Amino acid sequence: MATFDLNNDGVVVIIGSGAGGGTLANELAQKGIDVVVLEAGKRFDLGDIENDEWAMFNKISWLDKRISAGGWHGAVNHPSLPTWIVKGFGGSTIHWAGVSLRYKEYELKTRTTYGEITDANVEDWPIDLDELVPWYEKAELKMGVTGRTTGMPHLPWNNGFRVLAEGCRRTGRKNYNSGPMAINSVERDDRPACQQIGFCMQGCAIGAKWSTMYTELPRAEDTGHCEIRTDAMALMIEHDASGKVTGVVYADAEGNRQRQKARLVCVAGNSIESPRLLLNSASTMFPDGLANSSGQVGRNYMTHATAGCYAVLPEKVHMFRGTAVAGIVGDEVRNDPARGFKGGYTLEFLSLGLPFMAAFLEPGNTGWGRSVARALEQYDRMSGVWVVGEDLAQEQNRITLHDSEVDQYGLPVPIVAKTPHNNDTEMVNHAYEVTAEIYESVGATDVYELPAYPATHNMGTNRMHADPSKGVVNAYGQSHDIANLFVSDGSQFTSSGACNPTLTIVALAIRQAEYIAREMSANNI
Amino acid sequence: MKVRFHRQRPAPADHAGMSRRMFLMTTTLTGVTTACLLGGAGRLSAAALDGGQSATLLRAVQDIYPHPDLLSLAHYQAIVDAVGAGADEDEAKAAALTDGLARLDGLAQSLYGKPYVEVEDPDAREGLLRAFQNEAFFQDVRWTAYFAIYDNKEIWPLFGYEGSSVEHGGYIDRGFSDITFVPQGPTLEERIAQVQQ
Repeated sequence: MATFDLNNDGVVVIIGSGAGGGTLANELAQKGIDVVVLEAGKRFDLGDIENDEWAMFNKISWLDKRISAGGWHGAVNHPSLPTWIVKGFGGSTIHWAGVSLRYKEYELKTRTTYGEITDANVEDWPIDLDELVPWYEKAELKMGVTGRTTGMPHLPWNNGFRVLAEGCRRTGRKNYNSGPMAINSVERDDRPACQQIGFCMQGCAIGAKWSTMYTELPRAEDTGHCEIRTDAMALMIEHDASGKVTGVVYADAEGNRQRQKARLVCVAGNSIESPRLLLNSASTMFPDGLANSSGQVGRNYMTHATAGCYAVLPEKVHMFRGTAVAGIVGDEVRNDPARGFKGGYTLEFLSLGLPFMAAFLEPGNTGWGRSVARALEQYDRMSGVWVVGEDLAQEQNRITLHDSEVDQYGLPVPIVAKTPHNNDTEMVNHAYEVTAEIYESVGATDVYELPAYPATHNMGTNRMHADPSKGVVNAYGQSHDIANLFVSDGSQFTSSGACNPTLTIVALAIRQAEYIAREMSANNI
Repeated sequence: MKVRFHRQRPAPADHAGMSRRMFLMTTTLTGVTTACLLGGAGRLSAAALDGGQSATLLRAVQDIYPHPDLLSLAHYQAIVDAVGAGADEDEAKAAALTDGLARLDGLAQSLYGKPYVEVEDPDAREGLLRAFQNEAFFQDVRWTAYFAIYDNKEIWPLFGYEGSSVEHGGYIDRGFSDITFVPQGPTLEERIAQVQQ
């Protein structure tokens, strides 16, 4: 691994080592561009991965102080855990399940498709699907996504998904399968085939699932053009009198403040930390925070309209055997306002281990007693889904900074406010009903409806928009206000779609790397 | 959690009978535990709790996560011991626990004219506990019980959960797709054909 001097102002500084930051770092380093990655968490490797839900939660989660606010149940039931993401080498690509869906064209053009929606702030992306497809293909090849692009077959169907799939067949659905997943179904790219271990979201113990931890990051280091500093928490981005960013102040492992100079800065700290860093970098010149002339930094926080739904079948299922998300149902991903809501949702088979099922079946202080215990005695006969529905952007769903409380770095604690739109509520209720129908058709008796989990899909807080007054960054993730400041994570998403964000984050990062290399060569940045 | 009691739901289980069984079992054990304490023997670790309160706590942890057909009294007694050990290490926690259990009994007395452990109706006992569920002492007991039961590798097999698999080569040869009440998924050949250009 290369090392770069703190005063080297020719480097690209990337904040975060997950899907966005890790991919961007490798793409730039492969082109010979010098990169310093600042990762707030520890360095992990495969030896740190255990098949244990709580042990891994405690080991890898981002547990710095955060305040969960707004009208969603988590403000009460998960008051300090609004999100479920990773602090560490590889970021949330350690935790993600591998689902690699593309946006649909209408999901990128939500304002045009849905029109104006009361109490929402829905806009079009400044990119259309045709433009994204080649980048999706590059991402699929990089990550090893099962399906036509790679020619890698989808994974074999496990028990839990077979129950769901049969229910789909009996209720006339057509679009259900065990992919596309960024999990090797055959040995590929120096990584083994999936062994149906389960615990995908605790980190894949053999590296069959794509994660930047053992792909992009070590490969970037091997180029000699990338230095990754772990335990390096970015505190503030600095700028000069012309308004160009000049470097990043960060806390190192000993808590000492360091200043890494930079030619450009790319923010990829996930949708809480990225806007938080821009807001914390406010200056006399930029009193509302960096890149915030639109006032949209931190706003339009989207998770997904989401829920869990678990059915009890007449026979044993043992849903925990095999991949965590073993199948995807796409029939409900369409904009059909006759259903009572705009946009659509994906149903994804998701197994939970007994510990997490017992914690999330009924989260909060009320989750005990005879009904909960009775449900848990049916654990080995359960199959269920996670609902991934389009969540509408709303300005008031946002990240703000606490005015007095600070974290261990002395930074104001972020307040993460989320109130579901009526559209979300209608959609989730529809998803509960559809899921119950699907499982009833295969003999389900009781069906349990779970509320949203702390969000792993966090999007929108530095969104793209063609109009600088309505968004923070342009179609390349470049700040409208500051040419050498980029956003490289899911916070640049304009809409949430009904798909897991990682594939799109990676596709955008590959595209952004091309753009940055071009603009650097042309000396535009 | 909202439960949908669906059209195909079988006849409700005989939960009243089950609870009655549980009640008799624990009432018996309560006597044993109290006797141990009075005799100065036994494994009761909580100096903070007297025998009566230990019995109340034992009844409460069974009502928090009642699994009379899966778990033994020893499982629940271990939770009581863990809660007691925690109280012994923290004076404020011990005070909150003894105060909370006293108020639980007080509420039972005022509503049913008897201490909590003597209330026979499990719904009534759960109702009494619900009155305290937003208090720290209760949640402390509840989460201790949660981890002792659902995050306990020795108990997992009783719920049909098999846990860690990487050391066994995963579930690929250990039943990941072994159910017979729904059709098989596509074969490898079919899955390959699906993705051919």
